Amino acid sequence: MSKHKFRASTLPVLATVGPVSLWLAFFVAIPLLYVLVMSFCSIDENYNVVFQFTLANYRNLLDVNYLQIYVQSILIAFFATAFCLVLGYPFAFLISRTFQSRKTILYMMVIIPFWTNSLIRIYGWRTFLGASGWLNRALTALHLIDSPVEFLFNRGATVLGMAYVLFPFMVLPLYTAIEKLDQSQLEVSADLGARGGATFFNVVLPQTVSGVFSGCIMVFIPSLGYFYVADILGGGNSDVIGNLIERQFQSGNNWPLGAALSIILIAVTLLLVKLYQKCGGDMQSLGV
Amino acid sequence: MKKKQMIGALLALSVLLGSMTACGGKISTTGGGSASTGGTSAAAGKGGLNLYVWTEYVPDSVIQNFEKQTGIQVNVSTYSTNEDMLAKVKSESEGAFDIVQPSDYMVEQMIKQGMLQKLDQSKLTNLKNISSVFLDQSYDPGNQYSVPYLGGVAGIAVNTSKIKDQITSYADLFNPKYKKSIVALDDYRAVLGMAARSLGMSMNETDGAKIAQIRTQALKLKDNIKLYDSDSPKSALIAGDCSLGFCWSGEIALAIKENPAIKIVFPKEGAYVFFDNWCITKGAKNAANANKFINYMMDAQTAKAVSDEFAYLQPNKAAVELLGGSYKNNPAENVPEDVIQKGEHVKNLDTATLAKYNAIWTELKK
Repeated sequence: MSKHKFRASTLPVLATVGPVSLWLAFFVAIPLLYVLVMSFCSIDENYNVVFQFTLANYRNLLDVNYLQIYVQSILIAFFATAFCLVLGYPFAFLISRTFQSRKTILYMMVIIPFWTNSLIRIYGWRTFLGASGWLNRALTALHLIDSPVEFLFNRGATVLGMAYVLFPFMVLPLYTAIEKLDQSQLEVSADLGARGGATFFNVVLPQTVSGVFSGCIMVFIPSLGYFYVADILGGGNSDVIGNLIERQFQSGNNWPLGAALSIILIAVTLLLVKLYQKCGGDMQSLGV
Repeated sequence: MKKKQMIGALLALSVLLGSMTACGGKISTTGGGSASTGGTSAAAGKGGLNLYVWTEYVPDSVIQNFEKQTGIQVNVSTYSTNEDMLAKVKSESEGAFDIVQPSDYMVEQMIKQGMLQKLDQSKLTNLKNISSVFLDQSYDPGNQYSVPYLGGVAGIAVNTSKIKDQITSYADLFNPKYKKSIVALDDYRAVLGMAARSLGMSMNETDGAKIAQIRTQALKLKDNIKLYDSDSPKSALIAGDCSLGFCWSGEIALAIKENPAIKIVFPKEGAYVFFDNWCITKGAKNAANANKFINYMMDAQTAKAVSDEFAYLQPNKAAVELLGGSYKNNPAENVPEDVIQKGEHVKNLDTATLAKYNAIWTELKK
């Protein structure tokens, strides 16, 4: 290859793709590879990771208690996703179909809390829902209840917390999908005598289904991992997969087992993304 | 298409990984106070000092005072579990931290792994201020590697306006009538140790049959524990979410200040006792300064300033004299000596045993 040709063809490619590739390699690919390697390692009597090949970590994943936690975690993620979808769809529809100034306000209502640390917002819910929190005090003042209702420290509270933290991840892809919808199609549908329901299921939903899919994936996957929501609102009584991983890296001090658990979570993620593609999902609406 | 597929998968993964790092044990580094640059103090030949200590445990004012007295610039990093600290010290280059603050069992572990260096006893002139109850412990006989800083027990907090029964023991917490009323430490050795003590066993059992009994006992707690919280169990007690607590005495002391109906009970089986200690790491770059700092922390006035801010058990008897009645007569802070004597420390166990403990813990928390 002549020097000139290198400059003309390869250099621009290197200059544009190079930084991104390096970034992905250093901060995504290599750490993931490290996790994969570690999941086959052992620990010595002082909890140091030693490079001695073992499958024991993967065998341990089949422990019956772990299996129950996977199921519980999937159920929590499922309900959080369903909750987000039911609230998020009408909301996204409203944002995309309203006039400009209100659109900005509604959009900001999703985005601004999103900029605040989620840990703080989750503690806010704890204060709000606690035995001496605002909600219980208001209900008592209205004589609707005699003694405080226990909203906190159960699976329901965990689902609420997950749904709350991840709500923007549902609304934003939905908004993008609905925004693309052609207003005149809705008018045509109405002119041809279709009622609201029929228009929704035959015209609106098929054209926004990719937004629904990507929103669901973006909510479902992190819901499996947000251990701090399960700790703070769930009270640590109903673990999600993230809690299992966190424990192995902290108090349990068994990094290889934690790595094996992470690999499982990554496998679930890839499976869901694959499924999404099979169903005709557009990778671009996952934020690509 | 292929490339797009891969980038999409990678992005989905980074969302996932981002979620995992949201609240790990973070290392935060804050200057000890004075804005003096490292350069000037090093030029004066005094060097610096790198502390790696528990969060919310060493008052800033105390560190600033040390800097003012000695001209040594102090850098403070913090951790929230012994295991985090161990992992971090191991992963850094030797001597990155001069001083660490491990609890009793972790002192033993670090000595065993050759991670600490012996203290210079000739520099520790204030050691005489420390009560003998806290010295010469099994984890470091003769205090060659460590001197105690603060301590406490895992006591029982009782909100007497809600719980009318007389609570006297860890075993009382297993009563089925206290369904969903306990806030417990999110710490497997503490909770399983408490279950063991309620059966009259040690917190450090290694025998398989005994561990099986501890498991059966611990699982009875499943319905009673409403919330696991090590960071701030006092909040749930003060807010009224929980009427019973199994938590550190210092936290209970703060809860009592907010709500006098809360009382502390020392279990008759003997409580979980802990001491946190000052140690110098092997290869510390500023060992002389570190010895100076540790001696400073054992000074009566310094220890008093610590106790004015944090409600833990003060082993410094000279400081206790200065603290007066409000500290001395408060059992949640000044834990009685017989409770300490009767209590038990957590010890290091082999990995196979701890794996069993961890399995019970997972079963309890699932």
